[in-house]
Amino acid sequence: MPISPFRQREMNKTVPYWNPYLETLPREKLEELQLKKFRRILRWGYEQSRFHKGLYEAAGVVPDDIRTLDDVRRVPKVEKSMLRPIQSKDPFPYGDCLCVPLDEVTAFHQTSGTTGQPVYQPDTWQDWEWWTECWATLLWAQGYRPHDRVFLPFGYNVFVAFWGAHYASEKIGCEVVPGGVLDTQARILKIQELKATAMMATPTYVLGMADVAERKLQIKPAVDLTVKRITCAGEPGGLIPGTKRRMQEAWGAKVFDHAGATEIGAWGFECEAQPGALHINEAMFLAEIEDVETGVLITEPGVPGKLVITALDRIAQPCIRFDSKDIVSFSEERCECGRTYRLIPGGVVGRADDITKVKGVLLAPSAIEDVVRSMPGLSHEYEVVVDKHGDVDHILLKAELAEGAWYDADLEERLKTELRLKTNLGYEIQLLPYGTLPRYEVKARRFKDLRKQGRD
Amino acid sequence: MPDNDLVESFALKVDALRKLAEEIYSGSEDFPAVNRNVKRILASIEMLKINLETGSR
Repeated sequence: MPISPFRQREMNKTVPYWNPYLETLPREKLEELQLKKFRRILRWGYEQSRFHKGLYEAAGVVPDDIRTLDDVRRVPKVEKSMLRPIQSKDPFPYGDCLCVPLDEVTAFHQTSGTTGQPVYQPDTWQDWEWWTECWATLLWAQGYRPHDRVFLPFGYNVFVAFWGAHYASEKIGCEVVPGGVLDTQARILKIQELKATAMMATPTYVLGMADVAERKLQIKPAVDLTVKRITCAGEPGGLIPGTKRRMQEAWGAKVFDHAGATEIGAWGFECEAQPGALHINEAMFLAEIEDVETGVLITEPGVPGKLVITALDRIAQPCIRFDSKDIVSFSEERCECGRTYRLIPGGVVGRADDITKVKGVLLAPSAIEDVVRSMPGLSHEYEVVVDKHGDVDHILLKAELAEGAWYDADLEERLKTELRLKTNLGYEIQLLPYGTLPRYEVKARRFKDLRKQGRD
Repeated sequence: MPDNDLVESFALKVDALRKLAEEIYSGSEDFPAVNRNVKRILASIEMLKINLETGSR
């Protein structure tokens, strides 16, 4: 039965906010809401999960102790490494972090295992509504509307990846094309055939698809395809200027960043104003930034630290003060979009695992990526290997020349100079022929620190 | 930002919706097609509540 007989008025597609109430809440009201929600999810975890209760009791904290947002810091943090052993306990396969009866769990996903054994993530229908709502918030903010035909070129498997994006696009009213098991060429051809208007993928794959389109199919995405909007996830590139520029030029599309994680949810998004920053969805998440080494709360804008985050409404396996290991800083500047949600300039600039001291200098891999991808004459691919030469740290950057290009001593020198300016470090450079370095489809591993035992 | 009256009026209606859905749900244990669909509606209603929640309500 058509819906139209019951429809009195069309939805106003020009409203800039998915939730005009929450996204523009005055800060004091927003913080009042966050405190109420934090107290609720803390009590939920305390009462429903042996793991959480034990954790809080060991720290001498009960839910009633939390009366202000400052009190939140009394609550112990949870790390991914704590979740793995829990999952060997009952109930199978989630362990005693699970806060609902197993019958209530309707979705299984798992982390990618990039940093070790994967963590399982249960969700109820309610959780899934919430997850897709967070995605709908970000997609609407990036201009997705019901007329969009969204192509999703991802694996549709156990990794949460773009599952939330799929259902959020449906919720908005977009037409969703699942590009699951197709190979890259077939995906490009399907985008062309259906005149898809939007797409979502990791920055690595967005650039990889453009390469394949041009080299194998003689299709120039910016000219021959109709994609006008791309949302990135999984890697920081969506807000690394050099990478963003390459993606936007290759596709002739606006490229937006988003941040999230399996255990957390989709917590951050770039809006249509493209302020070079992510908004934190503060109605659904409480974000704290703390010093990587001391754990002290950072209250000063622009100072990078580790994101500790709480998903305020996720109930099956709550995420309460989760140590995300994402390196971010916050800004007090207001975005021209009018949202009151705080901004994170540059988005996630790295992982605490990857941001490392080399010769006593803090090195973020995203800074190297920006230099490489801002340099004409180089391909998108590179690899960084940090090692010791005797007692001295040594950085080798392998960069690929653009297709058809030859070795160029000037290029090598410019690269060295730019890297020194951006990172305050010296590099050994290897310029390699095009196609030498590995290609990735999902999360790339381009940074290797061989000084750390046990790392790959 | 929408005015408070609109948000409050939506919240009241959502609460009425929840009560109705819970009523159907509570009598549907022998009727899977009703039980499961209402359960799903209740999940959506919870999301509506979250979307309209305030610090004091």
